[in-house]
Amino acid sequence: MGMHSAPRPARNAAEARFRLLRTLKPALSRTQAMITVLFVILGFATTSAIKSSTADSLLKNARQSDLVSVLDDLAQREARLQSEITRLESARETLLGGDQYQALNEAKRRAKALGQLAGTEPVLGSGVSITISGNLSASTLLDSIQELRDAGATSIQISDSSLDIRVVANTWFSDSANGVTVSGTALQVPITIAAIGDASVLIPALQIPGGLVDTVGSGGGSVNIANRDDINISAVVPIPVS
Amino acid sequence: MIPAIGLLIGVLLGLFLHPTVPLWLQPYLPIAVVAALDAVFGAFRSVLDGIFNDRIFVISFLSNVLVAAVIVFLGDQLGVGSQMSTGVVVVLTMRIFANVAAIRRHLLKA
Repeated sequence: MGMHSAPRPARNAAEARFRLLRTLKPALSRTQAMITVLFVILGFATTSAIKSSTADSLLKNARQSDLVSVLDDLAQREARLQSEITRLESARETLLGGDQYQALNEAKRRAKALGQLAGTEPVLGSGVSITISGNLSASTLLDSIQELRDAGATSIQISDSSLDIRVVANTWFSDSANGVTVSGTALQVPITIAAIGDASVLIPALQIPGGLVDTVGSGGGSVNIANRDDINISAVVPIPVS
Repeated sequence: MIPAIGLLIGVLLGLFLHPTVPLWLQPYLPIAVVAALDAVFGAFRSVLDGIFNDRIFVISFLSNVLVAAVIVFLGDQLGVGSQMSTGVVVVLTMRIFANVAAIRRHLLKA
């Protein structure tokens, strides 16, 4: 068996194909068996390499700056969670160390805070009062309520001259003949939106380009925003029966 | 013919067994696969050149895989692992292209 013989290139394509077919003919020998084993391993290794490179390539292929920002996010999240742990642990200490009266007070305080968020408790505090006259569509009103919520308003109430409606999570808006309908109650313009929150954040949120003041102003209406310390949100929604 | 069936069996095994590549093997496996492919295409070419020898093929297959893995391992130890992998892949790919071109000339005379 000559290990290295000079190449004898096929004279034409037909001979080349004949040589290929001759090699492809099944033959049983030790080296053939060995080659077969090698090919099994090659196929197996190829598919496993492809699988492993597609599995966890999200972080592996990310650039360094992306990884840094991911790490930053995680660090910030950890710090937030740590401070929450500290807060909850101190609350637990207070509850365990104090008497029943203290625990009851804490529970009442939390019930009141949650009730204010859910709209089942009246709220008195500082915030803004927004009076809108002129053309007002339901979508504009919805947008401005969302803006107020994004700006950190904790409680919101919408009223006209006679009716007060508390805005909660499932409040809905639609257009009606001479005003808007809020959760099924028709309100006549002018309407007043009362929102509890930080006025220095709430007022700019309404004055952004394309915001409430802009939209109502371009429709010929007028918006009057007042910063007040004695916003009284008296409307409540019934406690839902679960 | 039998090796081709073996290749198919290997691919099917890989698809159905969902193997997880051990971590220490992960940098070397792709390189080894490319090196093996180079040996396979070289074998095809030598078949057409009329100098194919199955013992030489087995030895060149194993030595190709081994040398490629050793070079990448050495690169890892020297701290230039990824560059070394790139270099090995580039060289092997060039050889594969050259072999495929030779095979094409043989079979199609073009």
